[in-house]
Amino acid sequence: MAVAIRTEGLTKDYGESHGLFGLDLEVAAGEVFGYLGPNGAGKTTTIRLLMDLVRPTHGRAEIFGVDCHAHPVEVKRMVGYLPGEMPQWGGLRGRDVVAYVGGLRGGVDAARVKSLAERLDLDLGRRYRLYSSGNKRKLGLVLAFMHPSRLLVLDEPTNGLDPLIQQEFYRLVEEEAAGGGTVFLSSHVLSEVERACQRVGILRQGRLVQVARLDELHHLRYHRLEADFSGEVPVAAVRALAGVEDVTVEDHHLSCAVRGGFGPLLEVLGRGPITNLVTHEPTLEEVFLAYFRDQEAPAVTPAGKA
Amino acid sequence: MTAVPAASSHTGSLAGGRSRDGVVTTVRYGLRAHRWAFAGVAFLGFVSPYASGASYLAAAGTAAARATFGRQTIALGPQLAYLIPLPLRPDTVPGYLWWKGLTWLTLVFAAWGLAAATGLIRNEEERGLLETWLASPLGRTRLVLARVAAFTLAAAGAVVFAGLGTAAGVASGKASVGLGSLVEQGLPLLGITLVCFGVGLVAAQLATTRRGALGLGGVVLLALYVLDAVARVNPGLDGVAAISPFHLTDLTTAIVPGGQFDGGATLALYLTAAVLIVLATAAFRERDLMGGLLRGRVTGTPVVHSPSGNPLLRLPVLRNLWQQRLGLIGWVVGTMVGAGLIVSLARSTGKLLASLSGFNRFVQSAGTSSAATAVVSSVWLSIAALIVAAYAITQTSHWASDDAEGRLEMEIAQPVPRWSVVAERCATLLVGALVMMALGSLVTAAIAPGQGVHVDTGRLVVAAGLLTLLALSFGAIGALVIARFPRVAVPVLGVVAVASFYLPLLAPLFRWPGWSLNLSLFHLYGTPLTTGIYWTGLWVMVAIVVVGFGGAMAAIRVREVGR
Repeated sequence: MAVAIRTEGLTKDYGESHGLFGLDLEVAAGEVFGYLGPNGAGKTTTIRLLMDLVRPTHGRAEIFGVDCHAHPVEVKRMVGYLPGEMPQWGGLRGRDVVAYVGGLRGGVDAARVKSLAERLDLDLGRRYRLYSSGNKRKLGLVLAFMHPSRLLVLDEPTNGLDPLIQQEFYRLVEEEAAGGGTVFLSSHVLSEVERACQRVGILRQGRLVQVARLDELHHLRYHRLEADFSGEVPVAAVRALAGVEDVTVEDHHLSCAVRGGFGPLLEVLGRGPITNLVTHEPTLEEVFLAYFRDQEAPAVTPAGKA
Repeated sequence: MTAVPAASSHTGSLAGGRSRDGVVTTVRYGLRAHRWAFAGVAFLGFVSPYASGASYLAAAGTAAARATFGRQTIALGPQLAYLIPLPLRPDTVPGYLWWKGLTWLTLVFAAWGLAAATGLIRNEEERGLLETWLASPLGRTRLVLARVAAFTLAAAGAVVFAGLGTAAGVASGKASVGLGSLVEQGLPLLGITLVCFGVGLVAAQLATTRRGALGLGGVVLLALYVLDAVARVNPGLDGVAAISPFHLTDLTTAIVPGGQFDGGATLALYLTAAVLIVLATAAFRERDLMGGLLRGRVTGTPVVHSPSGNPLLRLPVLRNLWQQRLGLIGWVVGTMVGAGLIVSLARSTGKLLASLSGFNRFVQSAGTSSAATAVVSSVWLSIAALIVAAYAITQTSHWASDDAEGRLEMEIAQPVPRWSVVAERCATLLVGALVMMALGSLVTAAIAPGQGVHVDTGRLVVAAGLLTLLALSFGAIGALVIARFPRVAVPVLGVVAVASFYLPLLAPLFRWPGWSLNLSLFHLYGTPLTTGIYWTGLWVMVAIVVVGFGGAMAAIRVREVGR
């Protein structure tokens, strides 16, 4: 299978352990690849290296076999890009920004833009400075998706989007993949990557610590559960359950982490006088802390090959 | 374990203390924000009166020469009254220094006040900083007052430098001025700076963008300035002109022998500033963030989903000029009005100059026997050179903003070679400057014959072309600095412009070697209308353009981009 993105020992050393170190990664053509990591892990640095916005300290990166640094114009002809932070276009209207950026590529497909703006519910007649952060993000998505490209590089694409538009974005990604396009998207939200991607690379402290298919990542997934009781907490029964960890009880309040299904736990909790039940997804950093507990951050693994 | 303060301790005295801390922090931040502008204005504040004082002895070294010089300057004064106040005791160093060095400095301080006020409020708002400040428990009133305090401190500091420059200038002219007079002269300068700051502050509450506020405030101040100028040549309008802060400032001539400190006018300046600041504060308390008091209601505009059909946005160079169209129109109109005004006054001013023996050297230095042509060459084209330099600096500021605000990243992320970004900037500057100078020259060529002023059309075209080259020279230096240090490019270019302006004035005074004049970009431009092309200057400017833009193209290929 053709390779869309290939990096070999890609390093950007900003000093004091900041940056990206020894990234070996392959993303296959037609794949939707999630690039996951907490803030400051090196996701944006990787993307900027791919886009030749910053230059590697060591190593190299290729997109569809073309060296990103040696032939950046050729690379960018194949890529649609959404930056992590939108530029300030001031008083320009959305439609002017589209025409301007489109002009840099020699023109723009008006029908495609219209379709994207309608689907993302974006009024291109408003001035950019009056856009909310979500609308600015939508405009960024229009700019990234409006040209036919072989690869989409999207830096935290759903930041600021409401849930309905997020769903529309996921559909756009699915259509892109169905049409044979490749999507490389970064995120710090595990559930988002699970929703959109086929394979995931996990970055931590500038190093790629794991690349896996989604079904291989289930061991990472857990939820925190909090429950209040009006009487005695069935703590012993909860602690005895498989997949339930980190159980703490304070007065009539129980807190625990749950891996896998909720069924057995809910059955146990239901036996007690429960008054309140809340679950929430941990942050990525909490997931990592749980996963790597009692370990040092692992060294670079050669696990990045597709 | 760290003790956590009880919720109740977040109120009362603690809140007051934090609020005071917040004010101090905001004042410090404000001072920091003004540091570059302060440095520039303070530098000009010192150099302008100093250079005027230092050059006085060269123009009139003996008592007799001073008397003659004074009479001639008094005679010349009305010709320039549309620009600066009438001279007062120009037969003395302090009198000449007030007229030549301090009066136009008022405009510099006024422009700073306006730009600082609109920048601090609207610019911070556009960058999202104001939202952060307002989310703190500081409060809008305290925020504005802290900003006013910071600017007042910075402006007072700059006025002190102007006072030091005045004292040094007077001393270099072998005269003296009392400390009390210096303070009295400085008070209205600070007052008008604060009035202009107040105008900018009010404008920033009415318009919704920095550019809009700058434009609105600029129009108001220009109108008040023109009112003062018209009143100078029509004394009957003195009463009406009293509403102009420029008029109120001109009334104090404390450093001039026999001059006066107009306490009432100075007090009126400070009261006006206070009223404007109170109005602006009240408006700021009332308006929405990102909104303005003048902002109309959103009407039922249909939703647009299609890209703009404007073909200009798709064409290199034109897409940049279209985005800057309002600013460019302003520059072009300003250039045409300036050309029209000065050329229409050239004949009468030239006649007067020809009748004054002391100004023969001025006419001769312009390389012509026609005093009127000398005025067009040495006055109008010198001002035009300043205009294109200022235009190039604003373009450099745009380029620096492209970098800081992420537009450069977006542009480079498209399939365009990096060098083409620099090439397009260069071409945009070239076209903008060319349009300004072509239309300015057209006005000159159209008005001059009617005024009986002979202007060689061929040389006028050459002069316009060289002015464009001058703009490119400034732009090339800016482009080169931006390639490595984008944040300091505009201040560096400002220093280059100021140094270029003062070098030809100071070099003869201090007997610097002749070649040092070629370090001034304005000197390199020469006086092409009357003496033809200064070839050394032309080649040096071409070299600057090639090295500057070429170096910038090379540098942008290797530099890293991204916020």
